Amino acid sequence: MSTASLNRLTPYLFLAPAAVIMALALLYPLGYMVYGSFRDWDPSQSLGESTFVGLSNYVSIWGDPNFHESMAVTLKFAFTVVGIEMLIGVGLALLLDRKLRGMSILRTLFILPMMIAPVVVGLIWRYMYHPTLGVFNRSLKSVGMESVDWLSQHALLSVIIADIWQWTPFIFILSLAALQSLPQSALEASRIDGATGWQQIVYIKLPLMMPVLIVTGLLRLIDAFKVLEVILVMTEGGPGLSTEILALRISRTATEFRELGVAAAMSNFLLLLLLFFTIMMLSYNRWQEYRALKARRLIEEEL
Amino acid sequence: MVKFNKGLLAIATASLMLVGNAVAGPYDDYAGTTLVVNFPAHPHYDAVRKILPEFTKATGIEVEVDQLPYLKMRERQTLELSQDEGDYDLVAYVVFSKADYVYADQLENLARYFMNPKLSDPSYDANDLIDGYVYNIGFAGGDKGYLQGKTGSLFGIPYGSETSILGYRKDIFEKHNLKVPENYDELLDVACKVQELEPGMGGLSSRAASGHHAAHAFLLHLAPLGGRIFDDSWNPIVNNEAGVKAANALKTIIDCGPEGAASFGFGEALGSFLAGDTAMFLDTTVVAGQIDDPKKSKVVGKVGWALHPEGTRRGSQTGGFGIGIPKNAENKEAAFLLMQWLTSKTGDKLVALAGGNPSRFSTHEDAEVNAKFPHMKTFGEALQHADPDWRPIIPVWGKINADLGTTLSKVLTEGLDVQEALDGVAERTKAVMEEAGYYTWK
Amino acid sequence: MAASTEKSQHPAFYAVVVMLVIMAVGPIALMFINSFKFDVDIISGTSGLLFMPTIQNYETALCDILPYEIDHLDFCALKFGGAFMNSLIIALVSTVLTLVIGCMAAYALVRFKFMGRDTVSGTTLMVRMVPPAVLLVPVFGLWNNEFCISKSSFLGGLIRDTFGGRGDVCLAGTHSGIILIYIAMNLPFVIWILQSFIVQVPRQLEEAARMDGAGPFQVFFKVVLPLIKPGLAAAAIFTFRIAWNEYLLASALSDRDTKTVPILIVNNMSEFNVEWGVIMATGVLLAIPPIIFTLFASRQIITGMTAGAVKG
Repeated sequence: MSTASLNRLTPYLFLAPAAVIMALALLYPLGYMVYGSFRDWDPSQSLGESTFVGLSNYVSIWGDPNFHESMAVTLKFAFTVVGIEMLIGVGLALLLDRKLRGMSILRTLFILPMMIAPVVVGLIWRYMYHPTLGVFNRSLKSVGMESVDWLSQHALLSVIIADIWQWTPFIFILSLAALQSLPQSALEASRIDGATGWQQIVYIKLPLMMPVLIVTGLLRLIDAFKVLEVILVMTEGGPGLSTEILALRISRTATEFRELGVAAAMSNFLLLLLLFFTIMMLSYNRWQEYRALKARRLIEEEL
Repeated sequence: MVKFNKGLLAIATASLMLVGNAVAGPYDDYAGTTLVVNFPAHPHYDAVRKILPEFTKATGIEVEVDQLPYLKMRERQTLELSQDEGDYDLVAYVVFSKADYVYADQLENLARYFMNPKLSDPSYDANDLIDGYVYNIGFAGGDKGYLQGKTGSLFGIPYGSETSILGYRKDIFEKHNLKVPENYDELLDVACKVQELEPGMGGLSSRAASGHHAAHAFLLHLAPLGGRIFDDSWNPIVNNEAGVKAANALKTIIDCGPEGAASFGFGEALGSFLAGDTAMFLDTTVVAGQIDDPKKSKVVGKVGWALHPEGTRRGSQTGGFGIGIPKNAENKEAAFLLMQWLTSKTGDKLVALAGGNPSRFSTHEDAEVNAKFPHMKTFGEALQHADPDWRPIIPVWGKINADLGTTLSKVLTEGLDVQEALDGVAERTKAVMEEAGYYTWK
Repeated sequence: MAASTEKSQHPAFYAVVVMLVIMAVGPIALMFINSFKFDVDIISGTSGLLFMPTIQNYETALCDILPYEIDHLDFCALKFGGAFMNSLIIALVSTVLTLVIGCMAAYALVRFKFMGRDTVSGTTLMVRMVPPAVLLVPVFGLWNNEFCISKSSFLGGLIRDTFGGRGDVCLAGTHSGIILIYIAMNLPFVIWILQSFIVQVPRQLEEAARMDGAGPFQVFFKVVLPLIKPGLAAAAIFTFRIAWNEYLLASALSDRDTKTVPILIVNNMSEFNVEWGVIMATGVLLAIPPIIFTLFASRQIITGMTAGAVKG
């Protein structure tokens, strides 16, 4: 083969493995799932053996109060978690944005919770919430207070707290990075004008960080819809359906109720929901870029 | 690795000699085979793993055990059994899997093996197996599809049979001069009294966690209180008076139970009894071994046993596991030999002494077993009241059970009205049954 | 910023920092401590550090690979060692493959200008949003029923003869099956991160190498790869972390010989008696590799994380 033709082929050769794998292990399965969501499909059958049932899987989840509840739990969980994590994470970043000796050690320690396996996070928290053995109730008792039934009376709250513990550092690190890349000139200028710390935060830092914060928030929101293992280990979705987020519902429908078709329909639904958030995020990015471009043009024109 | 006490060792060697002398033949063809078996993570099967080396020693057949939590085990089996050729030679299955597997034609009918003179041990004495369990766990195709009846036949053998029994703290009951409850009124009464008498202690620990735990706990009370899930023509009657009574009983028990009771699975419920946080425990007989294990239990020697209290009738549960041979197994005959050995008189006694649950009348009466486990006699008596129809074993049961379990959990934790909750279950159950074709002949 | 550097911080500030550190690390430390306690000590609540440490929990967990017999066990139930090996094989192989494949693709995308960076980052996000739970159903179906080689075919027969096992050769139940889905899940992210590093490699370097007669592959391996090492490290850690920690898909795809550690832990959580000590020990063993990475490569992790959002 001549060098020229090899050169022409190179990009395709380089891309081919990735393209094949993505097509085979991601796109095809997703298509397979969409197809499967229209069929009455049992785990012991191959998809070919299943029967076509039209929209009946969608109709059945549409009318299923358990699915509605699980949907509500998912939304409640995702938005609460992201809201609180944003508040704490950004707050901490603003607080800790100073030259500290050992800042890098601190950051290392903070990212530990999100590096360890969700399964392990779940088991740590399940232990800490244990009605009699857990540290929370032991501490409450040792100061003479009533112990709390964390995982049965306040299951959703408990799960939310665990998630906040694990993922606030993510927001923290990203906001810190954003803070430290802010243009120093703007901060200098405001300081010369006599702005207080608060005024700097409210009028300069936060607005300048906003694009990063919104992207971070949306990323977290998407991730919050994917949480499964932590909740599985802590509560298995219970009590009742109070912590049965959609991902868990899908997995239970597939494995415990053995209705792959219905699970596929739910998966599709979840996918569309997340697609909506993703597109929102992407268009926000576009819009930001567009605005930045326009601003630059304006400045150039003025010059 | 395996530690045996002297008695166990004696029997083991005795059985070995027996096998060695009398039946040199049957195992010869299969020596060296490795059987892959699928067992649940369960105290009985832990005991089984202790005695398996004896089987290998006696027969030369190796056994590789794949032990899984029982819901996981069921998922795994669903997949394995549907393949053309499966990995497992012998599976232990949960009672309610019987319906699925037999209906999907995935288990071997055992007739072929018991009529084969080369495989079938003449001294097996099948009549010694406890009837209720054989019909409940191993038998399919009889009345209603899952009970004893003329049209049925045998697909598995009960192994790890359980029934419900009431464990109570002798010390606490003596201290406050309480009467061991014999009926449900007394049971609920005592359960709630304990809280006042012993601050910090719960009355009765029960499973209640969302899903099969809550459903199981409810069913446990439903049968003795006179209720059923279905009437004779498959109409859901779970929301009738008895059903409401059973749900209320469960609610009372949880309300008067230990801290966090509403989220307890079986493990937590047992754990709280072992830790001495509750005065009573009403669940499966399988726990006896752990209660007497000082490594796990703080109540060794303090626990007495009594029959499941009576409601309008006696009706303790029938549960546990059976073992069967998958249709797609590789070594079916060797698997049968293992199955026969495990459930034989020798195997049953060995496993009982290792802390398992025997399935034979003779083992329950055995002097040596009773000397080691004095509660065995009460357990044997409880078995006579076991109700094989305490829960329906039909293919769609899994779905109904899941719905029942989550709904009841709502009753326990979110204050959903009992009648309303059960009406909902009945309505959804009706739809499920309709779809599954149970009303075709109306 | 500069203003607050010189003057020493308020003590309350340090108190907040210390509290944060305790909150972040405390639960992990708690697990670590409990893994060295007897169950009796955990249950009876001898809190704090006053207890007899024991390695019994670790012995129970690792019973299948310890060379000596363990007295307190009747039989080895857990087989953690095997699962650990599976986790290691799956995580390492999928990381290496993802990096190689991702690197090549990223290079092609940058240098040969196939698609704009926008398209790639858009695709990346789209894929990133797909939850494993959504993949569960199709992957379970495909890996078990469709991605199979008949055992009567030559290749299938060869595999059955060498590796044993029964039935048609399917992806499900093999290391490869799990590795494949992990590669697919991680590829977009890896391509995307590496892209941002490759863009910064000066073109002149590559052209100089090409002048010297190097082919495209040589240019790539000898010139480009060494220059994007930090990006590779970040990508490697993220890929490894996901492959190492993932539970759901692995539990659907593995069989008794290919179980990974997270599956083992979940299996032991929900059953008859929760043996906290042993579970904590398995948790610690599972957490150790990611913790080591974090301690030694936190800079790369943070690079990867910020690249994920800030440049998004």
